[in-house]
Amino acid sequence: MEEVDNIIIHTLKQIGCDLPDSIDSLKKFSTELVVAATVQCLRVIKDKFDISPNLPPGMSAKFRVGTALANACLELGYQGEIGYQTFLYSSETEIRRLLLFLIEKLPRDSAERTDEALGTSALMQRAIATEISRQLKTTWSAPYCKAKGICWRGTKPKLWHREGVIGTRAYHSCSLSVPYGVGDLTKKLHKELKQYYMKELAVITNQPPHKADLPASVLESNATSVTAAQEWENEWNSSGLGSGLSEQDYRLRKQQRLKKKITDQLRQGIQKSEATVAAAATTDLMQTLNTFTDKSASKTKGSRFMHAEKLQFTEDDAKTAVQMGIGEGAPKLDTEEDLQQKREKEVECLREALQGLTSQIEAMEIDMRKYTANTQQMEELILVMDRSVSDKENSYKVMKRTLDLLPDADANIAKLQSVVDSSAQRLVSLANQWEKHRAPLIEQYRQLKELNEGKVSESQKKLEEIKSFREKMKIVADETRSKEDLHKQLISEYERMTKGVNRSAYTRRILEIVSNIKKQKDDIDK
Amino acid sequence: MELSVEALGGLQLCGDSAHVSDKAFIVLVRRVCDNLLKDSTDTSVLDDEGLSNVDRAVLKLCFASLVTLVLEAAKHDSDASTISTILEDCKFTADRIDILNKIFISKKPEIQALLSNIGHTPPHIVDVDWRLDFYLKNNHVDKVNEPVYMVTLKTEEGGQEETKDVQFACSMEQLQDLVGKLKDACKNLEKASQL
Repeated sequence: MEEVDNIIIHTLKQIGCDLPDSIDSLKKFSTELVVAATVQCLRVIKDKFDISPNLPPGMSAKFRVGTALANACLELGYQGEIGYQTFLYSSETEIRRLLLFLIEKLPRDSAERTDEALGTSALMQRAIATEISRQLKTTWSAPYCKAKGICWRGTKPKLWHREGVIGTRAYHSCSLSVPYGVGDLTKKLHKELKQYYMKELAVITNQPPHKADLPASVLESNATSVTAAQEWENEWNSSGLGSGLSEQDYRLRKQQRLKKKITDQLRQGIQKSEATVAAAATTDLMQTLNTFTDKSASKTKGSRFMHAEKLQFTEDDAKTAVQMGIGEGAPKLDTEEDLQQKREKEVECLREALQGLTSQIEAMEIDMRKYTANTQQMEELILVMDRSVSDKENSYKVMKRTLDLLPDADANIAKLQSVVDSSAQRLVSLANQWEKHRAPLIEQYRQLKELNEGKVSESQKKLEEIKSFREKMKIVADETRSKEDLHKQLISEYERMTKGVNRSAYTRRILEIVSNIKKQKDDIDK
Repeated sequence: MELSVEALGGLQLCGDSAHVSDKAFIVLVRRVCDNLLKDSTDTSVLDDEGLSNVDRAVLKLCFASLVTLVLEAAKHDSDASTISTILEDCKFTADRIDILNKIFISKKPEIQALLSNIGHTPPHIVDVDWRLDFYLKNNHVDKVNEPVYMVTLKTEEGGQEETKDVQFACSMEQLQDLVGKLKDACKNLEKASQL
């Protein structure tokens, strides 16, 4: 029965039982382990099964747990004898039967699901692990034996790993340009462009300034192009298709929008900067003006002072010339004060005169305004008068005609009547004609409208269809990709699978069962 | 592995025998791998005699797209079947696909090694010199009697041929700590290898 035990233990470990490595047969299962294994199995089989895998310490609690487990097993359709004693006072054969039953009841796809969940990251980790173990096994070699820090091992397949960093270079890329659209004969290339492609453009290997930057540049330009295409695809799917524009129109419109945004921003920026500049300019102006005024003030002051000085000196000179010995300070002060007073007086006079003049001017202006307002009023009055005159003339004419017609009243009334009748008839006929024209036109209009609506709804339907198709396309592509990945992963998994122990155990068991059946058959046949 | 529209367009041109003859194709693919792997840029593709009858602009485009294909394929570690599906989409004939795969697969390890050069790595220790000094005493203490290890690590740095020295002195405990850390690292590496 060892193989069976092996299978049971293996399966239990697979579904997440924490079995110590020392246990290799069911004989060594303790009560706790039995309960834990059963609970784990039941949890996998039933989604909502909440009994703790740890056996409680109290006897009554243990009993309760055992009964619950037994009931759960019976619910699953276990045929043999089962009760709390099966778990608490376990016998090897009973436990084996029970666990075998439970393992058979395990959902089949749970194992597969765990495989799927492994995914690419697990594959990656495995690859890393194998690579590390391979590198650990290689012998050490001196740095000068390696070509730019890379060890080469074997010829076929050629294996390498990096040991050392001599050859490395930081990621640095530059933009590459390739001739675009040369193969398409339907589109005519610009002559100069073609010439440039033919003669001047360097091959991409020569384009980066350093040869070592070539791979980085190539990879980056490819990646940028791919992501740009993806972004465009997303945008086109999300907002482009709904707009009902063609691809080019959509691009054009987007371009215009962007341009407008940019110009707006620029304009705002310019306005802002202008405002600040203007403010600065005005302050500058003020400052310069201030400096000017200061200067002029100081100048005038200076000049005044100098003037005064001059005067003083001349007077001094004169005085010293005329009479020596008289105190020099007194006359000097007098003259200055006098001058000051005079000047003030003069200023006062002038100011008064100025005020008088300005008030006069103001009065004149007010008068002028009054007069202009008057003229306007008058003009309006004239217009009104004219109008009333013409009205009166008209009414007079009408009156005159009616008065003229009065003598022969009956005949005139009849005439008028006939005129009125004829005009009424004309009106009716015109209305009829209009109706005739109108009816078909309205009919046509309605038809066209319906047609248009139909077209719009149809195009919307088509758009919806296109969208759904695109989504489907994407989904299918994703699916195929994931399926392919899964396929690859499963193949590698299959190759990695240890086909030894487990499989041989199963086959042996199968063979045993077959031989048992044969024996039984033989016995029956006897 | 995804290629840009430009690269795919170039590959389509490359697969078209009207633009690139069979002979020229073989030469071109060889040149792509050689140009990537060799440092010297003295011989340009444009001067190759085998490619003289190919239109210059077409040649430049084909060359660029083949370089992109080869580098991307090496980056993704693509096998022959993946490349075949891409090339079939670009209307390559079976012969040409075989030729390209043969040349590429033989050169793939070298190209991957080339790609592994890209990157920034911390200095790499390649050698160590050490000296054990015994510290007897100083002017304050008459008896110190401690060992002092003078360690010089030789390190390599990216893009430099000469090794650099990293010098430090440490006590016995510190050195033991360092050795313990290194052993831990080794153990972790082994653990990582047994996944």
